[in-house]
Amino acid sequence: MTQNTTQASADTKQATFEIQHRESIIGSYRTEIAIAIAIIVLALAVGSQVPQALSWGNFANITQAGAPLIIMSLGVLLVVITGGIDLSVGSVFSLTGMVTAQAMAHGFGGFEASLIGLSVGLLFGSINGFLVTIAGLAPFVVTLITFAVAGSLAFIVTNGRSMPIGDPDFWLLNSGSLVPGMPNYILFCIVLLVVIELFLKKIVAGRWFYAVGSSAQAARLLGIPVKRTTFLAYVASSLLASFSGLLTISYILNAESTAGSSLMLQAIAAVVIGGASLLGGTGTAVGAVLGALMITVIQNGVNLIGINSFWQGSVTGVAILIAVLIDRFSKSRRGAG
Amino acid sequence: MGTARQIVVSVSGLTKAYGATSVLKGVDFSVDRGEVHALLGGNGAGKSTMIRIITGSAAKDAGDIVFHSPSGELRTEAEGRRKIAVVHQELALLPHLTVAENIALPYFANGAALFNRKRAAGQAYDALAMIDREFAATSLQRLIGDLSLHEGQMVEIARALASGAELILLDEPTANLTAQETDRLFTVLRRLTRESGLSVVFVSHRMKEIRQIANVCTIIRDGRTVVDRAATASLTDADIIEKMGQTATAHVSERAAVPTRRALDGEPLIIKENGFRLELRPGTILGVAGAPAGPSTLIATLVGAARSRRWTVSHASWPDSFSSPRQAARLGSGFITGDRSHKGILHSLPIIDNVLASRRVVRGSKVTGVHEQTECLDLMQALKVKAASIWNLPNTLSGGTQQKLLLARWLGLPSRLLVLEEPTRGVDIGTKREIYHLIRQMAASGTVIVWWSTENAELLEVCDRVMAFDTEGRCAGVIENEDLSEDRLAELTGMAA
Ligand SMILES: Nc1ncnc2c1ncn2[C@@H]1O[C@H](COP(=O)(O)OP(=O)(O)OP(=O)(O)O)[C@@H](O)[C@H]1O
Ligand SMILES: [Mg+2]
Repeated sequence: MTQNTTQASADTKQATFEIQHRESIIGSYRTEIAIAIAIIVLALAVGSQVPQALSWGNFANITQAGAPLIIMSLGVLLVVITGGIDLSVGSVFSLTGMVTAQAMAHGFGGFEASLIGLSVGLLFGSINGFLVTIAGLAPFVVTLITFAVAGSLAFIVTNGRSMPIGDPDFWLLNSGSLVPGMPNYILFCIVLLVVIELFLKKIVAGRWFYAVGSSAQAARLLGIPVKRTTFLAYVASSLLASFSGLLTISYILNAESTAGSSLMLQAIAAVVIGGASLLGGTGTAVGAVLGALMITVIQNGVNLIGINSFWQGSVTGVAILIAVLIDRFSKSRRGAG
Repeated sequence: MGTARQIVVSVSGLTKAYGATSVLKGVDFSVDRGEVHALLGGNGAGKSTMIRIITGSAAKDAGDIVFHSPSGELRTEAEGRRKIAVVHQELALLPHLTVAENIALPYFANGAALFNRKRAAGQAYDALAMIDREFAATSLQRLIGDLSLHEGQMVEIARALASGAELILLDEPTANLTAQETDRLFTVLRRLTRESGLSVVFVSHRMKEIRQIANVCTIIRDGRTVVDRAATASLTDADIIEKMGQTATAHVSERAAVPTRRALDGEPLIIKENGFRLELRPGTILGVAGAPAGPSTLIATLVGAARSRRWTVSHASWPDSFSSPRQAARLGSGFITGDRSHKGILHSLPIIDNVLASRRVVRGSKVTGVHEQTECLDLMQALKVKAASIWNLPNTLSGGTQQKLLLARWLGLPSRLLVLEEPTRGVDIGTKREIYHLIRQMAASGTVIVWWSTENAELLEVCDRVMAFDTEGRCAGVIENEDLSEDRLAELTGMAA
């Protein structure tokens, strides 16, 4: 017993002085690394069936097709981290496109029309944020309402007709290059990824998103501005959905009332694949972007291999399942829970 | 030990590691029929981990757990575990169900598909009435989410007592109870162990309670058993504290040893209730004693958590009332909640964000930085927090260690007022002294401390004056330094034992 005692006290001495304070990148991005590996494996698997899947051209296809989803997922992520959900992003995406195209048809230039389009996002984000924070309604219900309203307005704007884009230079928004050698859609994705990731990790207001999602009650007692933070999350989410809508019409040069209808579930799926919990308090921008990429790679692969596109949903479903299992597994090894 | 032992459960050579951290390094532990067995050890020693392993909610790495039936036969693990009830350190109740449903649900878990409301209420009443008849009569249909922490704790204990278990494991059950409730619990435990041979494992950091209730104790330290089944009476307090590996001076609890401090100059803080007025000069430590109902409205007003018509708090540089905890914090009114798990810890944020949360709010910091890491480490060192990394999640820490994270939030942060709800809940004996010292230092720098505790001994030790609330939640008076005594407190709070 004496032996036990001396050994134990030696342990305590060590323990007090060995608190690790450097953040391990591998440790904090464990899920993201696993998803990245899964994407590469997936791409190689597709490539083994269809060699041109690994070509530079197909890579450009994937990023171009994936950019709107990536940007929308980043917005949804912000809401999910605070413990909420945003079901209205797909409708806001469609409505933005319709309003922007209609504004151009009424003689506004591409730039002014885009601002008008973005104001759709600002408006619906503010409505969501207001109803969730001030009125205290459940996020699911609030955004279900705005999903329905924005969705129907997208038809009303043109009476359901699709709208061609008027401004001949509008395509530059998506495919021009502000930075030589890099198309804008990639630039936008990278900038937003970096800005949001740094905001969430390094800015105190970003840490508050996690605090609110972890426990709104604890956050309030700590003096964290819970309502302001939540409000901001919904505004950001809608604005990013709006921007994503602009990017899409500037690529297709045509706006359709139903353009965003499949995107909402995909964006939520991307966020979940990326390791965020729908209960709030976790998730990273890197994860959300990788989640969106994974969904895009799957869709692209299904097309290339020539599987009936009706299977896309099932394949995506399985991918979500695998991602969530990876996430759970990597967490339980860490010992939490 | 003259007669042959009737062992209920025995654990030997138990080991458990989480990743690279080895938590249990070979623990031996056994419980006999009809005994109240104190399980002792400092924060992070491995008590809760062992309890989780015995009940099967965590997996062991190695070692043996053997269960016996009353007639002495071996039982399978599954069979043995069915005869165990546990009250974990953090409450595990369903917040959207009523008290009656929470207590009775386990009975309906298998078989009867129909939930019989009457029968459930009857069972719940019987269970609760064992500890508190009045609570049982008034609260069966209340939602768990509306209960205070100590009421929730009573419900959990009642559920365990009523489960028909032969062994109940109570992980710091009294940390959330008032002195009166603790006494009632002990009466019930004594009766059940005597009459029906119930065995109880009891974890507590309060020496007085251990002496009151436990006849046997086991002490673990850093994952090893250092004292295996000793008669509690055969060990002195000093022995126990030393075996737990706490500092030698830790048990000195002389009120006289505290230098009497003189109130500092400066604007006083004034607390008013109709007809009652209390002036607190900077540097005062005001204790708050009594049933939670009274203190909680006062505290909510002091920290801006809720507005109250009853209380007014005034200070020269403060508004008439705080509009939010945020405003209160930024004007220098700090708060450490007593409900660690639900209102305190941010469970999905790493330790560093938890520790620095209040500092960031008060200072209005915009960006996080490397200097924060040093600050976090310093605070953890001051409170002797054992952790592998400041980037780990709080649920990798023991209960008492999580409590230290809450304390660290306001420790050394310049403030006018600091309101503490049961700040040493679950903290081990050695660190408690350390905390008293650190809080006294904050008072010495001019902070008014309002310290609510259900442990009267603690109030006597640290406070200059104590405001006592009676069981109805009314303020029963303020006892000044020289008149402070346990009897006087018990009398005013209506909790004479
Ligand atoms: N999930 C986990 N992952 C990693 N380490 C853990 C985990 N759970 C507990 N630990 C570590 O195990 C050790 C023992 O924890 P435990 O909760 O058993 O302590 P305890 O004796 O109950 O302390 P307390 O008196 O504070 O409640 C602590 O050092 C803690 O950090
Ligand atoms: Mg514990």
